[in-house]
Amino acid sequence: MTVAAGSGLVADGISLGFGGLQVLSDVSLTLRPGVITGLIGPNGAGKTSLFNCLTGLYRGQRGHSSFAGRPLDGMGPAQRAGCGITRSFQNLAMCPDLSLLENVLVGLTLKRRSGWFSAFVPTPAQRAEQQDTERRAMAALNELGIASAAHQKPSDLPPGTLRLAEIARAIASEPRAILLDEPAAGLNAVETRDLIRALKRLMRPDLVLLVVEHDMDLIMELCEHIYVLNFGKMIADGTPAEIRAHPDVIRVYLGDDADD
Amino acid sequence: MAVSDLAHASKVSASARGGHVDIARLSVLALVAVLALLPLLAGGFLLYSLSLSIANAVAVLSVSMLVRYGGEVSIGHSFFVALGAYAVAIVEHRLGLSIAVSLPLAILLGAGGGFIFAFPSRRLSGIYLAVATMALALALPEILIGFEKFTGGFEGLYIAQDLVPGVSKALQRYYVTLVVLIVVCLALAHFRKSAQGLALLMAQAQPRAAEAMGITRSWARISIFTVSAALASLAGALTGFASSTVSPNSFTFFSGVFLLVGSVVSLNRLSLPAALVGGAFITLVPTYLAKAGDWVPILYGVALVAVTLAANAGDLRRFVPGRRAR
Repeated sequence: MTVAAGSGLVADGISLGFGGLQVLSDVSLTLRPGVITGLIGPNGAGKTSLFNCLTGLYRGQRGHSSFAGRPLDGMGPAQRAGCGITRSFQNLAMCPDLSLLENVLVGLTLKRRSGWFSAFVPTPAQRAEQQDTERRAMAALNELGIASAAHQKPSDLPPGTLRLAEIARAIASEPRAILLDEPAAGLNAVETRDLIRALKRLMRPDLVLLVVEHDMDLIMELCEHIYVLNFGKMIADGTPAEIRAHPDVIRVYLGDDADD
Repeated sequence: MAVSDLAHASKVSASARGGHVDIARLSVLALVAVLALLPLLAGGFLLYSLSLSIANAVAVLSVSMLVRYGGEVSIGHSFFVALGAYAVAIVEHRLGLSIAVSLPLAILLGAGGGFIFAFPSRRLSGIYLAVATMALALALPEILIGFEKFTGGFEGLYIAQDLVPGVSKALQRYYVTLVVLIVVCLALAHFRKSAQGLALLMAQAQPRAAEAMGITRSWARISIFTVSAALASLAGALTGFASSTVSPNSFTFFSGVFLLVGSVVSLNRLSLPAALVGGAFITLVPTYLAKAGDWVPILYGVALVAVTLAANAGDLRRFVPGRRAR
């Protein structure tokens, strides 16, 4: 499948090594807008490393990445966030001092324009902005069905709710690309179903959405296009049906399936 | 008794939910009313000491703010306090203007000084930043004496101008500092909910996640230090005004350490009662225990250990089964 240059989030020939260990070798992928893309692979396949290269936390030693035709090379996480790329974290990255709503509000920081003066002195413009951002954060929480927990502290809430709150935070800023790192980790079956429904609902034609998971069933149900990573190499990509029938994928995952 | 009440009030407001909010608000309002009426009961040296306590409460807040929002400790905030105090004195001596002009100027100077310090040290944190701030505190007396032409050298300068003509000096000192402290507390409460406040708390708790939201670590470090230094400088302007004098004696290396002690004693809280406890502690203990002389540092040390143990006891209680500490 060919994709016009300039659409979506593109990684081309990314290589990454730590010392003598080659974590990623010549990995390429294209995340098209309007398609939920999955990235799977067994533990240690390099999923999170690739994810961190896409979000700018790591710098690949070789290769290029671009978003909507704009090169991302050399940009750190904050700059990539400025380009409209948001991410969630595998370990729940909530600030314990803030309520759930406030944790989501932080995700809107780049959208806020109020200056330092109005941080200390209430002004009408600042109040209007505060109400506007709070409304957007509440809408995001609502979208994931956890608005009732908005004013609770993270320590009082179950991990499933916090996981959904992470996603709410990622979508609150109306990003152009959302990268989710193992969003279903630690969720029970009901919460996972809610998550799948929420992710399908928030999909828009202009949104890039990547889900990194090792839960094969979730990926198969959720994604339209799937990449499979093993030992730092991309071994397959295609639709769920193609991936299911791919001999290399079967070989890699056979052990896992037998264990389950 | 009174002190424990204040500490309790601040705790309630910290974990306020539902009906508790009103109790906390009412007790803070009652405290403000008591403070407003205090000059009817106290006069002379006591009122003077109270004015200084309030000015020091603002300085304690500046250190606590750095701890709460930046997770950093500064030993050298006395540098920025001195900056504000000398700004008031020098503006009066050179330009003949009162604190109506020099108070806002002190805030700007503190912010500027804080930025100039924070920018090159934006990659420092923890003990390294603390040691770097120590350099400020150590250099300060030399700077003050070196620039004798402006600062009056060892003798320092007097601050004589009133803000409101015709009102007694003692009352002015008290009420101006009190009003500024209350405004600062309100501003800090507002800051907690602001975009910048939330961003700083997130940057401190989850630096990587914050970065992915566009909040860089250097932005967080530079901005919290700049704001905190501006507040310290404002506190300095108040200290100068409340004591009517500035001299290198008031800004030794230990002044910076005492501010940190005040912040610890107030449990790094940013509420009005907590700030008053911290400010009163570092002002009244040395004043009224002057006779104890050499014992003052030891008393400080004992108080620090006691407060630290008491504060941690709350944390430790969490691990006792069947009990939930809040």
